[in-house]
Amino acid sequence: MTTKDLIEKIELKPLSKFEGREINGVFISDMLSDVMAKAKSGNLWLTVQTHKSIVPAANLVDVSAIIITSGKQVPPETIELANKYSIAILSTDLPIFELVGKLYGLGLGSK
Amino acid sequence: MPECQSYGSCGHQWGMTNIQFGFVVFEKCFHCNGLRTYFTKEDTPILGDKYREGDHFWSRVENAQSFRFDLKCNQCNALEKFEDLMGLLHCTGCLPDCEVEILQKKYEGKRTWILVAFGFLPQAKEKPIPPYKLDILTDYFNQRRDTSRSRIKIVPFNLIKDLSLCKGDFIHDVEMLSLEPPQGRKPVF
Repeated sequence: MTTKDLIEKIELKPLSKFEGREINGVFISDMLSDVMAKAKSGNLWLTVQTHKSIVPAANLVDVSAIIITSGKQVPPETIELANKYSIAILSTDLPIFELVGKLYGLGLGSK
Repeated sequence: MPECQSYGSCGHQWGMTNIQFGFVVFEKCFHCNGLRTYFTKEDTPILGDKYREGDHFWSRVENAQSFRFDLKCNQCNALEKFEDLMGLLHCTGCLPDCEVEILQKKYEGKRTWILVAFGFLPQAKEKPIPPYKLDILTDYFNQRRDTSRSRIKIVPFNLIKDLSLCKGDFIHDVEMLSLEPPQGRKPVF
């Protein structure tokens, strides 16, 4: 499944400019250190953090997209930096628990 | 000789090992204005904690949740220790004539992103992380990403023109426990 497929299937709102790419799993954390240590290239990263430091961390690990959950507002400087690195920032009003249920239902949990 | 070079022709496929979570603590001496940093596994280092050590009056100015690790080759078991790596800094392009920003501009067209590796201060000013280790770190991050899209290049912090003016952002968990984005970070240098 690609990021573009996912946006359609669960009605995510794209906030940044990016190229669609394949998703190979899901990683959930609100800590950059955790992401840098354990997330894998191609993972979706689910978080409520919106500080612009999430962008270089996502870029370093090469995640397929960051999904900001629970309707959190993302500051313009975070989106601007994401545009520079072509990092997909997607947002949803769903809380993480509900989003994970949907992602699991789409088969992403088994990877 | 670095350990990894003793394994002959192995192309090395690096993986992270010996991961330890903890804090990077930044301390400033308000007597000499010196800065020092160290890693601790202490649960909650207290911000603002002050103490005297000889002629220095150290004050903890920032704690960042962080981690340290080593890299191990999955093929030949070569081990490179990175206990001297304090963290990676994202260049914000604050000084147009800074060598890091110049490199950043140069590599941007090739979709290669620059990150600055810092050793612990002040020791790293005298004994920086050796270039071969930065190359290993670069290899590690590139080996685990889709390099047809973009690449990472790790460079040493002594390329920064003036540390006292640098407004780069460490990729650390500073104030990340708050759900509200911090209103701009304090410069740490």
